[in-house]
Amino acid sequence: MTHPNQSVLALYAGQDLGWFTRRRTERHLARCPECRGEVQAFGSARDNLAALNELPALSWNRLAIEMKANIRLGLAAGECVRGQRTVSMFQSLSDARALTACASVMALVAAGLILQRPAPVAPPAIARDSAVLRATAGGIELTQGGQTLSLLHAHSGDVAYSAGAQGSIRAGYVDSDTGNVTINNLYVQ
Amino acid sequence: MSSRLAVLFVAGVAALCAQDAPLDNAVKINLPPDSPLTLISANLGESHVSQRGSAVVLDLDVTLTLHNSSPNRVRGVTLLVAAQEVTPGGKASVSVPSLDVPPSQNFPVRIDLRLLRPAQIAGGPLVQVNLDGVLFQDYSFYGPNRLDSRRTMTAWEMQAQRDRKYFKSILALHGIEGLKQTMLESLNRQAERPRLDVQVSRGPAVTSAAVGEHSARFAFLRFPDEPVEPVEGWAEIAGNEARNPRIDVRNLSSRQVRSVEVDWIVTDRQGKQYMAGSVPASGPEFNLKAGNTSRVIQDTALRFAHLSKDGGAPVSVAGMTGFVGQVEFADGKVWIPNRESLANAQLLGILEPSPEEQRLTDLYRKKGPKALADELNKF
Repeated sequence: MTHPNQSVLALYAGQDLGWFTRRRTERHLARCPECRGEVQAFGSARDNLAALNELPALSWNRLAIEMKANIRLGLAAGECVRGQRTVSMFQSLSDARALTACASVMALVAAGLILQRPAPVAPPAIARDSAVLRATAGGIELTQGGQTLSLLHAHSGDVAYSAGAQGSIRAGYVDSDTGNVTINNLYVQ
Repeated sequence: MSSRLAVLFVAGVAALCAQDAPLDNAVKINLPPDSPLTLISANLGESHVSQRGSAVVLDLDVTLTLHNSSPNRVRGVTLLVAAQEVTPGGKASVSVPSLDVPPSQNFPVRIDLRLLRPAQIAGGPLVQVNLDGVLFQDYSFYGPNRLDSRRTMTAWEMQAQRDRKYFKSILALHGIEGLKQTMLESLNRQAERPRLDVQVSRGPAVTSAAVGEHSARFAFLRFPDEPVEPVEGWAEIAGNEARNPRIDVRNLSSRQVRSVEVDWIVTDRQGKQYMAGSVPASGPEFNLKAGNTSRVIQDTALRFAHLSKDGGAPVSVAGMTGFVGQVEFADGKVWIPNRESLANAQLLGILEPSPEEQRLTDLYRKKGPKALADELNKF
């Protein structure tokens, strides 16, 4: 005869088995006194556990009063042993903490500013101090002395660039919003 | 302590917010009192000023609505955009060619501009927008023409007439299917046109690039009907930089010529050809009488690289080809090569398309052949 394992018997004792397993276990228990004994033992143990979970009756109000009294006593004792010097040390510590907190927040704000608004990328190095025209991915730009004037063509697909040897650069495109051809020109003098 | 932290937090947030200030009086739009165009509105859209380190960045995305108050149809407009405090050695313009605006109608012009300048520059408008010229259907012109807009817009309008005539002839001869095929060919040419990243500067040569510099001679393409012919020309070449182009031209016509523009093609070491730019000559010092020869000269350096978002590799110049792309006579009339000449010289695949061809192919791409045929039949 194959006996159900211990966990099945324990679950049966607690009436936690599914319908099919419970029926099968009941059929086995009807002809197996050994397993019936196991189930009775599990049942007794569950009853004992329930009894152990019950807490003894306590006077919560009395306990709270005692705790408050102890706290007051501790504070009063602290006041007796703490001199003027100890107070100023505590104050200094508090100020130091405040300063550290302020410094941390300022550092956070500064880091945010740096990350949020990075310094503009420096224009490409120019070997002479004259104005330079060039086409970029987003438009055409004139750079002079670290300052830049760009004409952009964000609202376009195909762009036709051309340069003029008199010192100009041109970008022609169809504006997708207006449907008009727009020709941007930059000139260097 | 909590109140001190709160003050610090508010100050930090205020400092962050102050970096993206709205645009206020940074742009001034000036139209003359007798202008044939009137300003209806200037929508500043997402324009804003922001501070980055010690620099101020002005992002200007403005759409002007202009009104044609003249009795003529407007064909093109050029606006001069000046930011003198930022770039005293430069200026900008925004042109809208290929228009067809009847009298009493409004039309938009968009200016998308960015300025990067030091923060300590004094106040006042950062950008001034002035009218440089308006071209009408009958080729009459209004405006101060400081940027030689009259010649440029007249040439664009002539190109527009030339290309419209060509596409209309295709429509008449081969119908919608023929027009479709021609548009696809044009779109393919535009997509496959080899492009260069050209950097332009004026003044003396860069020392490093000047090493190994030599004079290179232009080869010239000729057109049967050209009123001015290129005779000979040179430029100084060093690696991917070409400097000081100078080209002698002869006036073959019986009329006085006010300006000439020689288009410039460079060939790399693999034999691939790119449109590099143009060498124009105009102004009071250039006055080419009938039968005379004059020199087109520019003190400029052009550096060539492959077009790439991350900065392409330099293109070494192995050869140069020039052809006359535009001639303006003393009476203001302009000559441009016809389409057959460009096709015969196999230039259509190298040259940038005319503004009108760009507009028509864009219309075809977005709205189809029927809409394009309707557009061509308008005028």
